[in-house]
Amino acid sequence: MMELIGTDAVPIEILLVEDSPGDVRLTQEAFRDAKVHIDLHVASDGAEAMAFLGREGKHANAPRPDLILLDLNLPKKDGREVLKEIKESPTLKSIPVVVLTTSAFEADILRSYELHANCYITKPVDLDGFLTVVKSIDSFWLSVVKLPRDARL
Amino acid sequence: MMQTDGWYRGLLEAAPDAMVVVNQCGEIVLLNVQAEKQFGYRRDELIGQSIKDIIPEGFAERLIADGTRTAAEALAQQIGTGIELTGRRKDGSEFPIEILLSPLEDPEGILVMAAIRDITKRKQTEEALRQSEERRCLLENGRLHGSGKVTRDVTARKKAEEDLRDSEEMVRMAVEAAEMGTWFWNVQRDEISWSDKFGALFGLTSNAKLTYKLIIQVIHQDDRQRLDQSVQNTLNLGVPYDIEYRVVWPDSSVHWIAAKGRAYRSAQGVAEHMQGIVMDITERKTSEERLVKMMGELKRSNDDLQQFAYVASHDLQEPLRMVASYTQLLARRYKGRRDSDADELIAYAVDGSNRMQVLIRDLLAYSRAGTNGKALREVASESALKEALANLRATIEDSGADVTYDPLPTVTTDSVQLAQVFQNLVGNAIKYRRAELPHVHVSAAKNGGDEWIFSVRDNGLGIDSQYFERIFVLFQRLHGREEFEGTGIGLAICRKILQRLGGRIWVESQPEKGSTFYFALPEGAGK
Repeated sequence: MMELIGTDAVPIEILLVEDSPGDVRLTQEAFRDAKVHIDLHVASDGAEAMAFLGREGKHANAPRPDLILLDLNLPKKDGREVLKEIKESPTLKSIPVVVLTTSAFEADILRSYELHANCYITKPVDLDGFLTVVKSIDSFWLSVVKLPRDARL
Repeated sequence: MMQTDGWYRGLLEAAPDAMVVVNQCGEIVLLNVQAEKQFGYRRDELIGQSIKDIIPEGFAERLIADGTRTAAEALAQQIGTGIELTGRRKDGSEFPIEILLSPLEDPEGILVMAAIRDITKRKQTEEALRQSEERRCLLENGRLHGSGKVTRDVTARKKAEEDLRDSEEMVRMAVEAAEMGTWFWNVQRDEISWSDKFGALFGLTSNAKLTYKLIIQVIHQDDRQRLDQSVQNTLNLGVPYDIEYRVVWPDSSVHWIAAKGRAYRSAQGVAEHMQGIVMDITERKTSEERLVKMMGELKRSNDDLQQFAYVASHDLQEPLRMVASYTQLLARRYKGRRDSDADELIAYAVDGSNRMQVLIRDLLAYSRAGTNGKALREVASESALKEALANLRATIEDSGADVTYDPLPTVTTDSVQLAQVFQNLVGNAIKYRRAELPHVHVSAAKNGGDEWIFSVRDNGLGIDSQYFERIFVLFQRLHGREEFEGTGIGLAICRKILQRLGGRIWVESQPEKGSTFYFALPEGAGK
């Protein structure tokens, strides 16, 4: 029998791939008032994100995320590479990836969708906008959308 | 004398040329009516006379037996070849002839039959041709280096000569005015004649004879093969000679030359000579090179600008977003919880970072206005205006502005950028209003040329004429931020867009009476 995800018993696992501690904190702030119980995991570069997803090294016990928030401009391994690897992996490709980046360049947007990003969001420059966006992610991806359940088994 | 006289005679009389039969002593034994006519003798006056009477030189000496050879031997050497000699008439006048010889067997010995053709006309034609060719080469200063004599036939065709001289004079003046050098290359003899100017352009220091091989030495090493190929194409295929190459002067200086010419062929298709002009194009080449270099620099600086746009949009925006977000978060979380002093300080930080963000955003918009445009196409300018008005709907409604427009033309332009210009101008017209309700009117009229002049007229504050230029400069404002918001980007963007579209923008205004902003757009594609 399936458990209801997002409750205290089964929190929603989100992987935030973001190199800026400021943005990490802002995202945490924004999720603080979320309607559902969220476990926010942070990878500060692309390599660490892949290690987390592959449960390598210190991430051996990492949960499989329900949603990935991915910045594009990352040290070591670029966000575009991370996206490509996730979407080429038979086991990972079903995880929705939300590209959350400062870039508003059409080339970046197009490339991300070509790599099968599930959606592309440009970080708003002001605080209110940013909070609104994170809340929208919360309400859309975590409340409206039905996420793949069998993957959690 | 001869039994065969009858059929000889018939044969001779039918021939189109003068025919004379001579015996081994050089005496004329037979002649036809053409020979009588050509030399002006009656037949009986010539029979038995020496051939030297009518062909003083070159005939008897060649054909008649002497101590060293027999007549047969002498004749054998001459058979079948056309020999050019001079004929003398009874009145003493001379004319050019060509003779063809053949032997006749006769019981009395070997006779020689000569077919004699008057080649006066042919000689005249040849001479005229040669003269006109040489004259073409004499176009400058009437002087010719490295080549043989110049002959002038003063008696022939005076009128034609004068006409020719007139047209040559015109050509000479044109050649001189264009500072062209001229050259003439006798391909068969490999002799090149040239004009003074040619010598100057090639840095020639002597008037010594030039050959193709010698002139090639003056050509820049890297251009020699190309030049030679071009010359061969002209000689062999008749391709017009048209080439640019470098010459190296004795002082090692390099000069660019443009050369044009053509080859003249014989009836058999053999190239006999080539001639043409040369001119110095060093200056043009230098500016072309400079232009290419400048284009490269311009492209680099444009690329730099694009790079700057990226830096401004991302790298600069990024830390600023942190400053803004966290000061805002501070304000939100602690407003009223500390003393009012703290609230005020935080407020300044928030305000400063907000303005910085707007400036960066506007700067980015400005840098993109000149480079990020779409391809130009036919656009109904009215729909661009409607789009602008739709974007301004809130502003128009809030201000109660009355925006009207006349029918507007179709122009070849960038519709997005045109809409942006309309939006900025109409937006300004409403923004800088007086107490009364703003009225904005947009119209367009064709000027004398092929430009459309658009106008956006308002009844707003108006502008003092001393600021007519300044308002179009980036970040230049006439009002404090407390009076009117903004960074001073709008008109600067308008001007940049119009520069890109091949147009221009200006204003006419009086303070307190309103302003009219004009912009001109080419009817066709902008450049």
